[in-house]
Amino acid sequence: MAMVVDYKHDSSFPYWTSIRRRFDPDSPFFSSGNLERELLAKQVALDLTEDERNQLEKMIDNDARGVFCPIVGCGARLTSLEDFEDHYIARHTASCSVCSRVYPTSRLLSIHVSEAHDSFFQAKVARGYAMYECLVEGCDLKFKNYKGRQQHLVDKHKFPTSFEFFNKAHPSKKKRLKNQQKRRMHKKDEEASSKMEVENETIDGLVSAVSKLSTSDSSPSNISFGRRNARGLTFVPRSIHAPREKK
Amino acid sequence: MADDSLAAHRRDPIKSSVGNVAAQRRRQNAATVGKERRESLVRAKRLCRVGAPGDGDVPFEENDMMTDEEGFLLEDQTSSAVKELKSAVAYQGKGAMQKRVNALRELRRLLSKSEFPPVEAALKAGAIPLLVQCLSFGSPDEQLLEAAWCLTNIAAGKPEETKALLPALPLLIAHLGEKSSLPVAEQCAWALGNVAGEGEELRKVLLSQGALPPLARMMLPNKGSTVRTAAWALSNLIKGPDPKAATELIKVDGVLDAILRHLRKSDEELATEVAWVVVYLSALSNFTTGVLVKSDALQPLVERLATSNSLQLLIPVLRSLGNLVAGDSHTTSTVLIPGHEITDGVVKVLVKCLKSDHRVLKKEASWVLSNIAAGSIEHKQLIYSSEAVPLLLHLLSTAPFDIRKEVAYVLGNLCVAPAAGEGKPNLIKEHLVSLVQRGCLSGFIDLVRSADIEAARLGLQFTELVLRGMPNGDGPKLVEQEDGIDAMERYQFHENEDLRNMANGLVDKYFGEDYGVNE
Repeated sequence: MAMVVDYKHDSSFPYWTSIRRRFDPDSPFFSSGNLERELLAKQVALDLTEDERNQLEKMIDNDARGVFCPIVGCGARLTSLEDFEDHYIARHTASCSVCSRVYPTSRLLSIHVSEAHDSFFQAKVARGYAMYECLVEGCDLKFKNYKGRQQHLVDKHKFPTSFEFFNKAHPSKKKRLKNQQKRRMHKKDEEASSKMEVENETIDGLVSAVSKLSTSDSSPSNISFGRRNARGLTFVPRSIHAPREKK
Repeated sequence: MADDSLAAHRRDPIKSSVGNVAAQRRRQNAATVGKERRESLVRAKRLCRVGAPGDGDVPFEENDMMTDEEGFLLEDQTSSAVKELKSAVAYQGKGAMQKRVNALRELRRLLSKSEFPPVEAALKAGAIPLLVQCLSFGSPDEQLLEAAWCLTNIAAGKPEETKALLPALPLLIAHLGEKSSLPVAEQCAWALGNVAGEGEELRKVLLSQGALPPLARMMLPNKGSTVRTAAWALSNLIKGPDPKAATELIKVDGVLDAILRHLRKSDEELATEVAWVVVYLSALSNFTTGVLVKSDALQPLVERLATSNSLQLLIPVLRSLGNLVAGDSHTTSTVLIPGHEITDGVVKVLVKCLKSDHRVLKKEASWVLSNIAAGSIEHKQLIYSSEAVPLLLHLLSTAPFDIRKEVAYVLGNLCVAPAAGEGKPNLIKEHLVSLVQRGCLSGFIDLVRSADIEAARLGLQFTELVLRGMPNGDGPKLVEQEDGIDAMERYQFHENEDLRNMANGLVDKYFGEDYGVNE
């Protein structure tokens, strides 16, 4: 691509700069126009239908552009860019039912749940067991404390120093989410589903209330909050179901 | 023999009533020839299937999809036809010329019948040397025409088939001369166009054999299908990536004038092929781009964009305009001065393209606008206050991905001042605030979520503008409302380090510990 971005040596943000973008005539940027040229020139002679044309365009577009999921460790091939969002939601939004943090794989979520919400885990840590496992699948190393694992990720696996698995960057997130929900509730006039009465409830309370309604197996509750439109999956930690298969 | 007025009909295929049946049969067989068909459609080569009416031929049949049996039959017939041609060429007695023409005609018919002519069979039977012989100087026009036609269709298919024409090239080029009859010259140009469409190697050969000057001269007359075919062949010949041919072409006496004349006055079909020549001239070298800009080529391009509704014409004209804007800073700084009539004209036709139904026009028009918006503050103000902005905002939320990406470039460019040395460019707050208020932020956050690196970067860069530049510290709130935090947090496990750093940096800076505490 013709885009040029200024990168400073102190790795500050590459700000938007308005520059002219030029493309060579054989650049992929022009390929859909080139295809259109040939189809138009030949379509009368070949009596192509609208359908055939659309199919052709799609086939050639997608052939030229193989998109792979960029989430670490996924590598799934996507049929088109438009499919990515669906794929992401299906595969990478494992949401913690307790604190609403979202992780891109069920494994990471499972690790989080143990580390953050399991007193048994904490007990073992206190007794000196190496409980904090490396986040990189296949590494299998375990550490006695969070910081040690963190250092390992940075040193061995080149994670950025700013990376935080248990992200404390926005501790008010819980509060933010509650406020967001409050705002939404006020807007919903007649939505008098009892499930939705959330005034003065903590999220934990909410979860336990809802989990009593749900009939699915295993605990903790498998309804996730914290994401707009509650698009979080019905997620079952520990027993790792593959989320619904999406092409 | 076909004359000019008849020749004008040559390119319009006659659609017979069996067309629908053939189309149906074709669809049934679609799976088997899907790939082959796709490739043949996409190629820059063109089969010649229809001749001038009145040459004693049977009416054109749509007979595209054949059964295997029919295919074998055709191959057999082709081999026989070549054999027949061989004996006709060897024959020296009375009526030799007619014999040769008849044999050529038969072979030509077999090579024009279907979408996939029996080229392999013809080559195997040794057609090329015979056809080359039929191209010898002094041969009658009919013979030259039929031979060139056969070669045209042999060259319209697979690479190795096109390459088989190598021995014929010098003669084909020779018959482009002014002494040749127009239909003959045209048919030779067509064959050479197919050869040039094959690839860089063959283009080099053609150029070294002097194909360019005679083809260029064929573009000088005011009208005729010969001019059109020559323009098409030239577009294949100069497409590069080596800019030498383009540079050579523009220097040929009278060519630049002819090109501008055709752009201004000729019928749409002819203007279309000439416009494709301009596409390559405007993109391949600074020299040719400069010549076009200085010769005021923008004017007829804008005129065509304003008056035509033919997608075939609009695509190359728009792209030529785009190339001239992108390739030469002169265009924006000295020709498209805000306030000048031509500048208003350009914006107007770009708006027209944004309104069109066609994906290519919307995408490439946005690209051109983004380059104009990368100009001076006055340019940004011009576009900002034009009809383009509401259209762009709408496209940002509704159009297919490739269009949205270009639109993002326009809108973002409107919000930052031209770079002045080091440091981050200044914001144009008025534009930023207005565009955000009109709802563009969600479109950019969508791009942040995209799997396309370039688009994601654009989304993050615009998000930074919003976070930094919205007054009263509104930026973070607005970003949060559009689920921007979620979108950025996705990057924690993203494999691209640059994007990770960008996203993390923004989240750390604007959504840190204190954020949201004082709700």
